[in-house]
Formats: sequence, structure tokens, C-alpha cells
Amino acid sequence: MGHHLATFIRWLLTPVALTAIAVALYWLFRWIGWKKKQAMGLALVSPWIVGFLVFTLYPLGDSLYLSFTKSSIFGKTEWVGLANYIKLFTLDIEFWPSVRITLLYALFSLPIGVVGALLVAMLLNNRIKGIGTFRTIYFLPAVLPEVAVALLWRWMFNSESGILTWLLSPFLHLFGLDKPNWFGDPRFILPAFVIMSVWGIFGTNTVVFLAGLQGVPRSLYEAAEIDGANGFRKFLHITVPQISPVILLQIVMGMIGALQIFTIAMFVRPSTAAGKFMNQLVYERGFTQMHMGEASAIAWVLFLIILILTLLVFRSSPAWVHYESDVKR
Amino acid sequence: MARSLTAGQAHMGVRRLNAIKRAIVYIIVIALAAVILIPFFWMLSTALQQEGDIFAWPPKWIPDPPQWRNFADAWTAMPFTRYLGNTLFVVALGITAELASATLVAYGFARFRFPGSDLVFFVLLATMMLPFHVTLIPTFLIWQHFGLVGEFDPLVLRAWTAWGPFYIFLLRQFFLTIPRELDDAAEIDGANTLQTFFLIMLPQIRPALLAVAIFAFRGYWNDFLGPLIYLNDMKLYTMNVGMYFFMGGVNEAPQWNYLMAMSIIIALPVVLLFFAAQRYFIEGITFTGLKD
Repeated sequence: MGHHLATFIRWLLTPVALTAIAVALYWLFRWIGWKKKQAMGLALVSPWIVGFLVFTLYPLGDSLYLSFTKSSIFGKTEWVGLANYIKLFTLDIEFWPSVRITLLYALFSLPIGVVGALLVAMLLNNRIKGIGTFRTIYFLPAVLPEVAVALLWRWMFNSESGILTWLLSPFLHLFGLDKPNWFGDPRFILPAFVIMSVWGIFGTNTVVFLAGLQGVPRSLYEAAEIDGANGFRKFLHITVPQISPVILLQIVMGMIGALQIFTIAMFVRPSTAAGKFMNQLVYERGFTQMHMGEASAIAWVLFLIILILTLLVFRSSPAWVHYESDVKR
Repeated sequence: MARSLTAGQAHMGVRRLNAIKRAIVYIIVIALAAVILIPFFWMLSTALQQEGDIFAWPPKWIPDPPQWRNFADAWTAMPFTRYLGNTLFVVALGITAELASATLVAYGFARFRFPGSDLVFFVLLATMMLPFHVTLIPTFLIWQHFGLVGEFDPLVLRAWTAWGPFYIFLLRQFFLTIPRELDDAAEIDGANTLQTFFLIMLPQIRPALLAVAIFAFRGYWNDFLGPLIYLNDMKLYTMNVGMYFFMGGVNEAPQWNYLMAMSIIIALPVVLLFFAAQRYFIEGITFTGLKD
């Protein structure tokens, strides 16, 4: 209980300190001539700014710095220049398999998750009875804690007696496979993870798309029907453009999420033969092997991958994302 | 062909086609629901199996007899009662701090402008794309510098700085839907900023507050990485870290009936909360289009 009480007291003092900072900022900026409302706005937002500076901006810079050093949690820090990166790119046998499986996982799970969810949302949008119940059922997996999802699927994919191994066995026999060792055989790890992720993400994506679809004005479809457009053309020329902002958001957030997979992998504990996911590698290098420098370098590579892919998606968006406020040129 | 039909026959044809289409839609929708529900059923079924039946082939769908004891046995196999207490402690402090700070910050973004406020808001949105692991190690070093690694502090103090950009975004959007006239009227009546905030604005955004509380609950309840790296005293473990060790080492064969029983227990609060507050959950998700 001592630990709890001590934390509780510090927890109570933190907002006092943050309020003091906010008040100080308010008067400081009043003093340099800001209007009352301006200073008030800054004061209200200041807790976030403090948090950003301390827990985001500084750590971001520090991890970049650490990636150029050899350091452990307890030892001292030594500047080694690009050595960590060079070692990762050339000598480290775990690095490239890790990049590979992380990217492949995102590459496969993302389109299936987005396109599949869109199709299911369109099915649900057919004014069917009991839509609320179906929406609840479809959303259920997304509510589950990742720990439970991971353990459940690890068990379902169990090679000896997993229900999925059993249900898929007629199908697997066609390929001459008896009970595949899903999470132990490098060939099956990726498919297993993709199947698991699709079950897990589907719900959220579907609910978001459904809301987007319900926002498409019916008059657009009616006009198209008068013009004799068939279902596919309506989908291509009305549905997709109308909900393209939602699709963009789902792609970006889904991609960032997929590339950061961690908890599920830790609980599924797949064979490392196919590579560990990048965040697992960051955790292992940093906190079990105490190589903070190397861990930071891996984290930065992941960060840059996410940054570049996100920018690419955004750069491509004017070509296919349609906003209501767009003015035809 | 179509032209030779009378109008009535054509209409019938269309209706029949529509009926078939609807039937297909229902079949797919129901089949998908089954695909989603089977794993849940299997989770419960395994949780109730007796030791010898777990590895039956073909698998046994219905546990016979159901071993309700598994839940109690799994719960007491590790100090889960203590872990639950720790988790609730973290969840309670985290949600409270998160709600209080995120609401004020969102109010600041929604109603006040100051030089650079657009830039600050843009940066806030950009942090959503920052992978958590890139700041992980320096953040750990900060807490270590203050001697707080091994305590709950790293898990709960930061919540005061409104560190969930989604929550701020969601709340700000809700604040923006409140008509300005309300604040102006309060101001004319002589209310100060904080009075306006607490008496006029807060009651208006209750649904958003609930949505944020639910998301924050899920976030803290499901968090694994934070407790994993910061808590090293077994007495302070949260449920998820307890589960990690309950799962056993790399070469140990997991006890699946116990693990499924514990998975159900861990999932239950979030699932029940979802059923109870489904409207807010879905509203929140569709409002921001974001998850986790």
C-alpha cells in the first residue's frame, strides 16, 4: 500500500504544479501585452504543451541522439556516430527479417481490413433488419483487450488441437498439409497474423464506414439511377468518392497501427524464425539486452518508415480523395 | 427479352430479383456474424473444459461436464486479486487526470485563439502519427532520473498533461458544436472563464465526456507495454503483466483452459462496458474515425 499512497500523493501534486505553470504563463503573456482571452487560451492549453515538450519533443530528440551512441540504462553514454545504423543494416541478422515481416504484415492486413470492412459496411447499409445487433456483433472483437485476442488466437491456431486447425483441415489437406504449426513455421506466421488482425480490426473499420455510408445523400444515388447507372458504377462514382476522406483516414491510422504491432506478438510468441516485429526488437534490445543505442536506432528506422509511408499516402490523396468543399477548377 | 414483358411482369421480375438479392445479403451477414462469434464460443468452451479434454481430437465443442471451477482455480493460481486492485488503481487515477486535463485543453483549443494556436493544434494532431516506441526509451530514462521506475507514477502522472490527442480532438469537436451565444450570454451575465466552462460548457458535452472516459478506461485497462517496463516489483503488477507471466516461459506448455478463463475475466469489464454504453462508444469512434 505504501507504493500506492506515495504515487497517489504525487498524483495529487502534479495538477497543482501544472496549474501554477498555467497561471505563471497567463501573467507572463499578459505582461508582454497579450489580450486577456489570448493569454487565457494559452494557459488552458499549457498542460498539453508541457506534456508535449517533456514527453514527446525532448524524448524524440534524445532517442535520435541515443541512436548515435552506445549506451545502457545504467552505464554511461558513448558517441559512436553511425555505428549502430551500420551494424543494423549490415551485420545484424535480426534486423532485415524484422523490417520485412513488419512491412509484409501491414501490406497484407491493411487492404484486407479496409476493403473487407467497406464491403461489409455496404452490406449492412442495405436497410436490413437487426442492423444494430449485427453492428454490435461485428464490433465485439474490436473491444476485446489485445491480451485476450492474442491468447485466444494462439489457442485456436494450436497445431495439436486448435479449433481453426480442425476447421481448416479439409482445406489444408488439399495442399497436403496435416496440422500446420501456425506460429512455429515461418511460412504460416504471416497468414496467421493477418487472419487474426482481420478478425480484430474489422469491427472498428466497419462501424466507421457504416457511419460514412449513412452520410452519403440518397439523392445522389437516385439521380444516378435515373441516368441508368448500375450497382458497380454507383459504387465507383458515388460511394467511393463520397466516403474517400474516411478511407484515407482508415488507411493512415490502420497503417500506423499495423506497423506498431507489439502486445499481440508478445502474447502469441511466434517462432522467431520469420523475424520479430520491429517493436518487439526495440523492446528486447532496449529493456532485456540493455542496448539503448541500438534500440533507439531501430525505433528511429520504424519512425522514418511510418513517416515516409504516411507522407506518400497523403501526397497521393488529392488524386483520389474528394472533399465536399472542393471547388471544380 | 425485357421489352416483350408487360410492365406488370417486369415489375414482378424486379421484385423477385430484389428478394433473391436480399436473401443473399442476409446469408452473408449472418455467416460473417457466425465467423466472428465462433472464437468467442470457443474461448468459453475451452475455459470450461477439464484438463484431459483440452487436447481432444477432433476438438470437443461442449465441455462435459463444464468445469466452472476453472475460473476460481485460474484466479487463485496467481495473486490476481492483488493485480486487479493495482489495475483499478492505475485506471482510476489515469481516467480522472485524463478527463480533467483533456477537457480543459480541448476547451482552450475550441474557444480561444492566441498567436500560434493553429500551429499548436496542428502539432497535436501530428503527434497521433508518432509511434509510441520512438519516445519509449528516453521517457523511461526521464522517470529513472527521478527515481520513479518501479512505481506507478510513470503510468498515471502523465495523464495530467492530456496526452491522448484523440481525446482532445474529440472533445474539441463537441465544444465547437455548442453555439457561441451561450458563452456570450454567460459573459454578459458576468461569469468568468472558469464559471462559463464548468456551469455552461461541461453539461453540454456530457456524451463526449462519457465517450472519452470509456476510451480511456479501455486504454488503461488494456495497456501492457507501460506496466511491463515500469513495474518490476511483482506485488505491483497489473492484470496484463500478471497474465504475461501466467502464460509461462517460452518452453512451457500453456494451460489453455486456465488461460481462456482468465482471458474471459480480462475481457469482461470492457465488453460489459461496451454493451452498457454502446452508443457513446460508437459515436466516439465514428466521430473521430479513430481507434485505440
